[in-house]
Amino acid sequence: MLRIGFQPAFRCLARHYSTAIKDIDVAIVGAGPAGLSLAASLACHPATEHLKLMVVDGADLSQLDKWAPTSFDNRVVSLTPNTRQHLIDIGAWTHIDSLRVQDYNEMRVWDGQSNARLNFDSDDVDQDAIAYMIELKNLQRGILNRVREFPSVQIFDNSKLESIKPSRNGWPGDEWPIIHIPGHAFRARLLVGADGANSPVRHYAGIESTGWDYGMGLVASLRLEYDDLSAIAWQRFLPTGPLAMLPMPDGHASLVWSTTAANANLLKSVSDEAFIALVNAGFRLEPVDLAYLFSLTDSDQIVDEVSWRLSTVCDGLVDGTDVPLPVVHVEHKSRAGFPLKLRHADRYSAPRIALVGDAAHTTHPLAGQGLNMGQGDVQSLATVLQKAAELGQDIGSQLVLDQYWGDRYIVNNALLGVIDKLEKLYSVSAWPVVAARSWGLEILNEITPLKRFLMKQASK
Amino acid sequence: MKNFDSLAASWWQLNGPSRLLHRMNSTRVMFIQQAIHNRPMHKVLDIGCGGGIFTETAARIPGVKHVDGVDVSESVLEVARAHASIDKAVHSKVSYLKGPIEDVTSLTKESYDVVSLFEVLEHVDSPSKLIEEAMTYTKPGGSIVLSTINRTVLSYLTTIFMAEKILKLVPDGVHSWSKYINYGEIKEFVDKKPGWNMSLAKGSMYVPTQGWILNNCPSEGNYFMALER
Repeated sequence: MLRIGFQPAFRCLARHYSTAIKDIDVAIVGAGPAGLSLAASLACHPATEHLKLMVVDGADLSQLDKWAPTSFDNRVVSLTPNTRQHLIDIGAWTHIDSLRVQDYNEMRVWDGQSNARLNFDSDDVDQDAIAYMIELKNLQRGILNRVREFPSVQIFDNSKLESIKPSRNGWPGDEWPIIHIPGHAFRARLLVGADGANSPVRHYAGIESTGWDYGMGLVASLRLEYDDLSAIAWQRFLPTGPLAMLPMPDGHASLVWSTTAANANLLKSVSDEAFIALVNAGFRLEPVDLAYLFSLTDSDQIVDEVSWRLSTVCDGLVDGTDVPLPVVHVEHKSRAGFPLKLRHADRYSAPRIALVGDAAHTTHPLAGQGLNMGQGDVQSLATVLQKAAELGQDIGSQLVLDQYWGDRYIVNNALLGVIDKLEKLYSVSAWPVVAARSWGLEILNEITPLKRFLMKQASK
Repeated sequence: MKNFDSLAASWWQLNGPSRLLHRMNSTRVMFIQQAIHNRPMHKVLDIGCGGGIFTETAARIPGVKHVDGVDVSESVLEVARAHASIDKAVHSKVSYLKGPIEDVTSLTKESYDVVSLFEVLEHVDSPSKLIEEAMTYTKPGGSIVLSTINRTVLSYLTTIFMAEKILKLVPDGVHSWSKYINYGEIKEFVDKKPGWNMSLAKGSMYVPTQGWILNNCPSEGNYFMALER
């Protein structure tokens, strides 16, 4: 989706001499959900609607206009009620195809080794739903179409960012960044990096980002045995990583299996039948059985082994109640893997620079919070800029931008920390840890006020 | 004035010697917005504009069409002009003139919606003359907004002893206590002027993680006053 690269310096010189540099108030690098949401937030608010904005991305955004799918895409995200409300507030929700959105009001989470369970439903929060599953393309297209309604926003797609340089006649330490894209050059009062985990804007600002890697995430689009009209999100914590099945409309589902690189490769390479067998087994069989299955390489053998084990297992797991409905179909070419990692930038702001979304932080998908954290960043930055504009401040001033950093850093850091600890906690097989965490989970399941509190925090 | 000339080069460093002034900026605007409510603010005269911290901000406030900045230090005015030239949104709306204001002849009397005297009165020999001069430039229905420091033991301790000598938040020698003016003294002076009254007064203090905050004790420490015609 985001493709931004640098061309060698010598190729830039020829273009630079012939391109007149135009002033812009806010240059947003990256047309993903974070960048587009920021553009819409600024353009629709009276305090910032006069600002000249631009959004630039190396990808071809017309692909979103041409997107006319017959099945569900494999990249889906879970939106918290707060994110959905923000999208409504900026006028983007009406541009989203709501028939392709699945709200869900129940979550069933359990420990793969002890079967300790934690169930949430939307009565635990004062909302209609716990969260909303949406295809990333549907979300991105919706916000893009809202942004297109504003003449104050220029969108440059198919435009690889060629270079970022400080203006030569600027104030020392506070130079306006000059960005070059094919055919254009802009001098920006404020440069926002919404340009993903490898953010070139973050590199320009000299901001370090630290963290570590997890395994691989495997996604797939599935169809279940039938549509039981319940919308439940399922997550089983296996020692190799959490296995999640998220509900999509009309009996479809989205799989996110965080596991080892070796397991992910197997899941990608086996036949459709073997893949379906492994997914169904993943929710039902013991970790020791799964470890054996993942050591096999022959698709037919995998199908047979799973089928035999499932027929002899008699621990009374009820489809649709204790485990998800069986998978019967996997969408052609929908199996894909991506590396999982934790990263947090040291700071989100520098003179005339702000980072939002994945440019600032990346996290494990197990809590479905990554994109929502980015939208939270956007809301905070937009509010800070709006207040600053009302008070006549230079919105690119570090004094203004540091307020955004201060507002979001601690919150994000805490959430990243919790998600990371959960990932580590559930990857341990040693029985004292399993016993302790299972006991904790079961107690938590019984204490409704505490459950409600946690759910409210997670849906912010 | 010698103090300010040497500060000229570092005026716009956000974390330099003028950092407290930069942090006062949004508080000044908040005070003005409280004092003026929805009355028009199109033309502003900033007396003692220094490097233009408030001058540029005033030019950006929605509705403001032009801001004239006056200062006695030529080196600081050069810094102000150079900084303003970087930002096209501001450049066309500000003009800088060399003072003192009593010697300026090119500005139109009674033509400004707001005349500002931020952190100026405590640096001049005759503050009452300066306020009177500011009054001659204020439109009927317009306002003077000023900020300065009370002459109390507490203000000596905070603004000179702690700020200049110990914590070095403010360059040494910038303030001299004998020139501080009490809030009551200005109020008394204004009450004697026909057609003028004090419309709002707030105390102000610096809280390290929050910046300058407004409070309801204008007789202690730093304070803001709005005088309405």
